[in-house]
Amino acid sequence: MTQYLQDPALWGLVAGTPLAASVIYRGRRTSAKLRRQNSELENRHRELQNTFNEAVEDARLRAEEATKTALKSAMRTLQGLANEQQLVISKLQGKYGDQEILQDLLEIDHMNSQFGRRAQSVAVLCDGWLGRQRAVASVYDVARSAKGRIRHYTRVEIRSQTNFAIVSQVVEPVALVLAELLDNATSYSAPETTIDINIRTVPKGVCVIIDDAGVGMNEEEKARASRLLSGEHPVGVTELGNPPQFGFAVIGVLAARYGFSVSVDSASPYGGVRAVVLLPQELLTSMPEPQNPTVTDAAAPVDGDEDATTPGGLPKRRRRGAIAIVPQTRSGEDRGPVRSSEETASIMGAFQRGTQSGRSADPSREGYENP
Amino acid sequence: MTAPDDELGPESVELVRPYVITNGRGLPDRDRFDLITLVTASAGDRRTDRLDPEKRSLVKLCEGGYLSVAEIAGHLRLPIGIVKVLLSDLAEAGYVQTRTPVPPAQLADIQVLQEVLDGLQARFG
Repeated sequence: MTQYLQDPALWGLVAGTPLAASVIYRGRRTSAKLRRQNSELENRHRELQNTFNEAVEDARLRAEEATKTALKSAMRTLQGLANEQQLVISKLQGKYGDQEILQDLLEIDHMNSQFGRRAQSVAVLCDGWLGRQRAVASVYDVARSAKGRIRHYTRVEIRSQTNFAIVSQVVEPVALVLAELLDNATSYSAPETTIDINIRTVPKGVCVIIDDAGVGMNEEEKARASRLLSGEHPVGVTELGNPPQFGFAVIGVLAARYGFSVSVDSASPYGGVRAVVLLPQELLTSMPEPQNPTVTDAAAPVDGDEDATTPGGLPKRRRRGAIAIVPQTRSGEDRGPVRSSEETASIMGAFQRGTQSGRSADPSREGYENP
Repeated sequence: MTAPDDELGPESVELVRPYVITNGRGLPDRDRFDLITLVTASAGDRRTDRLDPEKRSLVKLCEGGYLSVAEIAGHLRLPIGIVKVLLSDLAEAGYVQTRTPVPPAQLADIQVLQEVLDGLQARFG
C-alpha cells in the first residue's frame, strides 16, 4: 500500500480528482447555462419567426386586398363599357338589320360578349359584382346566353329544354358559371368535336350537364378542381398561376355566393369531362308569360267575307284594320284617348265654367261666357 | 343575396344575343325574303315544342294570317336579317309558307273603277 503512497501518480490522481471534479462541475454548469440560453434563443427565434410570418402574411393580405380593390374598380369600368357597347351594338343591329353590315355587327357583338365575360370573371375574383340586372329567364335561355359568351360557341349544342326558369338575381351568375365551364370544355377538346348541354329535372332541382369529348382530367387536376369548386378556400388573384386559370376559381366563388353546386369529377360518355351544375329549387321558378304577345288576333285575315257586295252590286269595302304593331293596347280600346293631366284639368275647368254660366246666365245674354 | 343598388348597372340588353339565336350562320340571300314578303303558318298541327323560343313565337305570330317580314321583326324585336334566317329554317322545315306580295297593279281592278265611274255619272252626271 505504501508503495502506492509514494507513487506520484497517486498524488497526481488525488490532486487531480477535485480538479477534474470541479472542471466537470463547472462544465456541467456551463452546459446547463448554455442549454438554457439555447432554449431561450430558440424561443426568441420562434417568436421572431412567428412575427415574421405574421408580417409576411399581413403584407400579403394587404397586397392582395390592394390588388383586389384596384382590379375591382378597373373591372367595373370595363364592365360598364362592355354593357354600353352592347347597347350600341344592339341599336345598330336593329337599324341595319336588313343590310350586309349586320353580319359584321354580329361578330362585333360576339367579341364584346367575350370581353364582358372576362371582365366579369376578374371582378368576381375581386369580390366584385356582376353588374347586370336580368329578368327571370328560362334555363334554356340562360344556357344559350352562356354559349354566346365563349369563342367557339357554334360547337355547343343544347339538347333539351325545360319549363323551369331561374330567378332573376342568379340569371347572370349561372350564365357566367356555364360560360366558364363551356370555355374549359371547348379549350380542352378537339376543335371538330361538339360540346353537349343537357338540362334534366331532378328531385332536388334542375341539373345542367355539360359533356365534352376532350382529354379529361387526371386525379391531381380533379382534386384541384373540386377544392376550387367547393368555394371553401377562396383563391386570391395572386394565386392563379401563370398563365392564370380563372375558370374554376370564379365558379367556386359564384356557387358559394349564390348557393348552387358544381362538380366536374365524373367522366363524360364521350371520354372527356362531365360538368354538372345543380340548381336547387330555391333558385328556380316557373316561366313567366312570354313577353311577345300572341298577336294571332292582330294579324289581319285576308280570307274572309272579301266578296261581300253592297245591295247595288258594288264590292263592299272592308276595313282591313291596320295590323296592330303594339297589340297590347287592344285591351284598352274602349278607354278612349289618353289625356294628360293638364288637358283633363282644363276640360274639367271648362265644364265647371259652362255649368256656372248656365246657372247664372242672363237669358237675354245667351251665349255669354265667363272669361 | 342582392347587391347594393349602386353596384347594379342599368338594365342590360337581351340575355340571348342574336348571333346565338342563328348559331352563327350567315344571312340568307337577299332575294329570298323581302321586307314585304308575306308569311303565314302552314296549315296542320305541327309540334313546335322542340323549336327554339324565337321560332316558336314566330310560328305562333303567323298563325292568324299573313304578316310581312318587317312586321315579324318588329314584333319579335329582332334584326330583320336574323328573322330572315329563322324564316328560311322554318320554311325549309315546312312550318311557314311565304307569299310574295300581290303586285299593286292587280289591286286596282279596272272593271270596278269603271263601274264606280259609270255609277257616279249615271247619278250625278
